[in-house]
Amino acid sequence: MVKNITVFTTNQCAYCHMVKKYLDNKNLKYDEVNLDNEPNRRQEAISLSGGMTVPVTLVTQHDDSRHVVVGFNLSSLVPLLS
Amino acid sequence: MKNIIVYGADWCPDCHRSRKFLDEKNIQYIYLDIDSDKSIKSEMLSLTDNKNIIPTIVLPNGQILQEPSNQVLAKALNDFKSVSSDNEVIDLVIVGAGPASLTTAIYTTRENIKTIIFEKAVIGGLAAVTDLIDNYPGFEDGISGLDLADKLEKQAKRFGTQIEFNTVKKIELLPNNDKKIHTENGDYVARAVLIATGTDYKKINVPGEKEYLSRGVHYCATCDGAFYKDKEIAVIGGGNSAIQETIFLTKFATKIHLLVRSSIKASEVLQKKLQSFIDSGQVIVHLQTNIVSILGDNQLVNRILIKQGDIKQELAIDGVFIFVGLKPNSEFLNNSSIELDQLKFIKTNNNLLTSMNGVFAAGDIRSGSTMQIASAVGEGATAALHIRQYLESLKSY
Ligand SMILES: Cc1cc2nc3c(=O)[nH]c(=O)nc-3n(C[C@H](O)[C@H](O)[C@H](O)COP(=O)(O)OP(=O)(O)OC[C@H]3O[C@@H](n4cnc5c(N)ncnc54)[C@H](O)[C@@H]3O)c2cc1C
Repeated sequence: MVKNITVFTTNQCAYCHMVKKYLDNKNLKYDEVNLDNEPNRRQEAISLSGGMTVPVTLVTQHDDSRHVVVGFNLSSLVPLLS
Repeated sequence: MKNIIVYGADWCPDCHRSRKFLDEKNIQYIYLDIDSDKSIKSEMLSLTDNKNIIPTIVLPNGQILQEPSNQVLAKALNDFKSVSSDNEVIDLVIVGAGPASLTTAIYTTRENIKTIIFEKAVIGGLAAVTDLIDNYPGFEDGISGLDLADKLEKQAKRFGTQIEFNTVKKIELLPNNDKKIHTENGDYVARAVLIATGTDYKKINVPGEKEYLSRGVHYCATCDGAFYKDKEIAVIGGGNSAIQETIFLTKFATKIHLLVRSSIKASEVLQKKLQSFIDSGQVIVHLQTNIVSILGDNQLVNRILIKQGDIKQELAIDGVFIFVGLKPNSEFLNNSSIELDQLKFIKTNNNLLTSMNGVFAAGDIRSGSTMQIASAVGEGATAALHIRQYLESLKSY
């Protein structure tokens, strides 16, 4: 079960838009960290994904296990959203 | 309507596959984890004659499927309008959801031609990842790629276009002239197909490019540019996209080394815009320059080796953005009878018909296209009219 979802985005990233749209369509709540507005949180995204890219989606499950999906990647994201 | 129920477990790959299939088709279901509560498992066993197989899927009509393939599931679900099945022949399948595709879909669905689009990545295609589109008619101040993509998508959906996330693997002509579309999520049959798969950035194949992907090597400025605020970067390429992306990246990077193999080939308008950044010293152009390798500290890129004539030199930079041209997304047609040109773009006749009966191509993927959004949109409209004619011709037999 999903406890919470955080999506790291930037204003103009089309793939970020796709992740948000996907979660919206599924009625799933998420926190958005827009790195254009919060540049000081860039390092957090880099540490999670190991790269300098967005979107980075962090899914925390009820058992507190954390899973990271880089990019708009449904085959990795969907199984985490039960 | 009653709900679909999926009994499964988190460790079960087939359960994930079936759920992904339903998710991608936006079909609602209730998921019950048999490990979470004993009563759930007994409930499932009571429905399945004690057959302990997952996923077990109970359909609203009472039908029970155990460990079904995606095709079997699709067939069983053919009451749902978004799912095709072996029995249903769709009027038109479009591969790709860029501007060409969405335009065709606006025309066809508006005329009640049932249209499904399969898209493997972003709705809006390459246009969606472009920051500002300045030359698309009707937007006097330009429009952001994302906004244009959004508008096209909404307009197509208003008339009933269905868009599914799915990758097309192969197109096959059936003996009765229908087309079988092999996808990651099963097979579909359509009367007509439009291929509008566009192009993707080419790689440069130098050492370090693969190793440092997303860790200093990038192909999308709107996605990754923000990580280079106040940093120094290199951009590789000298065509329209490279110059447009360089201009975009000046929002972030303090200094940009633009490495051009020969000379800058971008349009005059773009070159003029670039000039002000060259004058201010933010962009430094290195002509006749090749990149030899991308180097780093194993974590992130920190320099590149470049070569100008016989002189090799290292440049300290934090990241490299590569825009050296585009390659057609036609690999999935490699073993098909659809004819490609030498560069692997799809050949068509004046009606945008390919060498396979009832299969059309439009936009950047088409041999001879002019690779602009306005032309992709124009070709999308042209294709729609010829597709309508083709579908009508089938009815008269
Ligand atoms: C940096 C950059 C800047 C640009 N700026 C401008 C500009 O200012 N003005 C302008 O007019 N043009 C511009 N262009 C060109 C413009 O983006 C393209 O001409 C236009 O997007 C082509 O549209 P299309 O529909 O043919 O293909 P695309 O937009 O490329 O869309 C094709 C879609 O097909 C999908 N796809 C591919 N293979 C498959 C498969 N097997 N299964 C499912 N889906 C698949 C892709 O994921 C993609 O979404 C720019 C291009 C770039 C790269």
